[in-house]
Amino acid sequence: MDRHGLTLALPKGRLLEPALALLSALGMSGLDGASRRLLVADAAHDLRFIFLKPADIPTYVEYGAADLGIVGKDILAEQEPDVYEPVDLGFGRCRLVVAEPRDLWERDDPAKWSWVRVATKYPTLTERYFSERGIQVEMIRLDGSIELAPLVGLAERIVDLVQSGDTLRANGLVEVAQIMSSTARLIVNRASLKTAHARVNTLIDAVRQAVSSPRPGMGAAVSRPAP
Amino acid sequence: MERRSHQTQLPKGVKIYLPDEAAQKRVVEERLLGVFRRWGYREVVTPTYEYFDVLSQGTDHDLQEGMFKMVDRESGRLLALRADITPQIARIVATRMRDEPKPLRLAYVTNVFRYDEPQVGRYREFYQAGVEQVGLPNPEGDAEMIAMTVECLRALGLDQFQLDVGQTDFFRGILEDLAVDETTARRLRSALSRKDVSALERRVEELGAPAAVTELLLALPSLYGRGEVIARAERLVKNARSEAALRNLSEVYRLLGLYGLADAVLLDLGEVRGFDYYSGVHFEAYVTGLGAALAGGGRYDQMLGRFGYDCPATGFAVEVGRALLAMDSQGAAAALPGPDFFIIDFTADKTRALALARRYRDLGAAVARDIISRGIEDSIAHARQQRARWVLVIGGGRTEPDEVRVVDLSVDEERTCAVADLLADPARHFPVFRPESGSRSHA
Repeated sequence: MDRHGLTLALPKGRLLEPALALLSALGMSGLDGASRRLLVADAAHDLRFIFLKPADIPTYVEYGAADLGIVGKDILAEQEPDVYEPVDLGFGRCRLVVAEPRDLWERDDPAKWSWVRVATKYPTLTERYFSERGIQVEMIRLDGSIELAPLVGLAERIVDLVQSGDTLRANGLVEVAQIMSSTARLIVNRASLKTAHARVNTLIDAVRQAVSSPRPGMGAAVSRPAP
Repeated sequence: MERRSHQTQLPKGVKIYLPDEAAQKRVVEERLLGVFRRWGYREVVTPTYEYFDVLSQGTDHDLQEGMFKMVDRESGRLLALRADITPQIARIVATRMRDEPKPLRLAYVTNVFRYDEPQVGRYREFYQAGVEQVGLPNPEGDAEMIAMTVECLRALGLDQFQLDVGQTDFFRGILEDLAVDETTARRLRSALSRKDVSALERRVEELGAPAAVTELLLALPSLYGRGEVIARAERLVKNARSEAALRNLSEVYRLLGLYGLADAVLLDLGEVRGFDYYSGVHFEAYVTGLGAALAGGGRYDQMLGRFGYDCPATGFAVEVGRALLAMDSQGAAAALPGPDFFIIDFTADKTRALALARRYRDLGAAVARDIISRGIEDSIAHARQQRARWVLVIGGGRTEPDEVRVVDLSVDEERTCAVADLLADPARHFPVFRPESGSRSHA
């Protein structure tokens, strides 16, 4: 059944560096995050790596164009793809929060919200968060630079991912509420786990082991496929 | 321009099958129906739409939400397009066939409508071919479903497949044992359905369950593999319902061994998809190169009871759209022959063309005629494009009036034959008419 090599989808952006460090702990070094190539083959491990925008990774994995992928829980919660997510990789820790400008925050009482206008990349999570609290929400869907929206009057509030909170502070925004916290996950196509289960399970186990003993080089090397 | 595209636009989620695609789809459906017939299943045809509240009796909340609905102009009641065949057949059996001897073996090939986001090889209108087997509570019934699914895959030329078999009662027994509320059960299930070990660990920790149950819950995502899974699970499980589920699964697995299918099957006790729907052994079939399940089914002993007739049942369905994708990716797409003959008659009265076409069609061949006036080269190019096997050219100056130029497009050879001879003894000239050539190339 294990006829073809496995394809692993890697996220461009902030998760790429820790993801490559994880792979190098598994004995797959030499992957260059700065390269512009979108597809790299690792013949020694019978693996292919594809580099994608994080938000596209669940789609590639759900359709089976990639067997496995590394992506943030925030994106998984937003898209709810039909995939397995067997390993919490622990890195890429961040939080999805509601934030607003400091001057609004000083006179605002979230308990009195009945209608809010919010700019976000996360419409599903935002909608769910507010509607669970009985608050009507007008959503403005953006793709980046969300912090700008309140500064130019596009929306009073934003729902966005924060790591240290520096970006919020730099733009005069204050966190009002946390919607969820997130870490990177290993996700697996449902069919791949069944049709290539020996190889996929070996890889999952190796990743799990590397994550629980995070010193570089300590992870078990991925076994090579039998000839 | 804009207006024009509006006039030809299709709604999201429907698909047109052009002739070659339609022919492939028909091949798939006929091969599947062939398997169903060979196992003694009889086709039923269910209504495309019914009253929503009636269809709802056999469907869960999510599927009810996903139904296409409309209002019946006569009664004002809500109608829905069928989103699942099984409840329809359950009702038909409960109301119209309950006195027939059991087991009942029923089959269907039909379109189904769900207001889903389009998925792998599945649109909002999609096609399923499946069976329902009513009245057998025992493992032989379950094994028959799985063995038939394998035979369906093989009939489609798909040999790289894997069946994933679970038993919903195993996890149900654990939940009963834990006596947790609905919300906790749903959260456990959600973590399990994603094989999300870290979320499962958190949930289990919150439960504060006895050590043995905790160990079992945490082992669930890895209770997955060949027969040894049953032995591993037996050592961990301590409640009667789960133990009975294991014995049942073990018996089904033994029977699959008798069918020679032990290697095609993976047991997965941590698989909780379809938990609300199925009541026992359930399974999904996966093929290499397709990211989603191609077929699936299982036991639903409670379904007929919802229509007032308590009776065990099991069944499965193959997703026709996904079968087409999988056949394509495994190089198993059916060869689609064109007509056996393409007749070009340059004479004025066309009687020879009509006579040959009549005679050969009566013998079962597919015969197309060129009824547009065009040059011989264009006609032959058209025949080639239609994937015709033989071109019969009458008249046109290269042959005598009572002769035919016979061009075999499969090998690009030609010869000349008398019309009378082609009419009198077709089998001598064309293997398609010889009994030993077996079924005709289209079959």
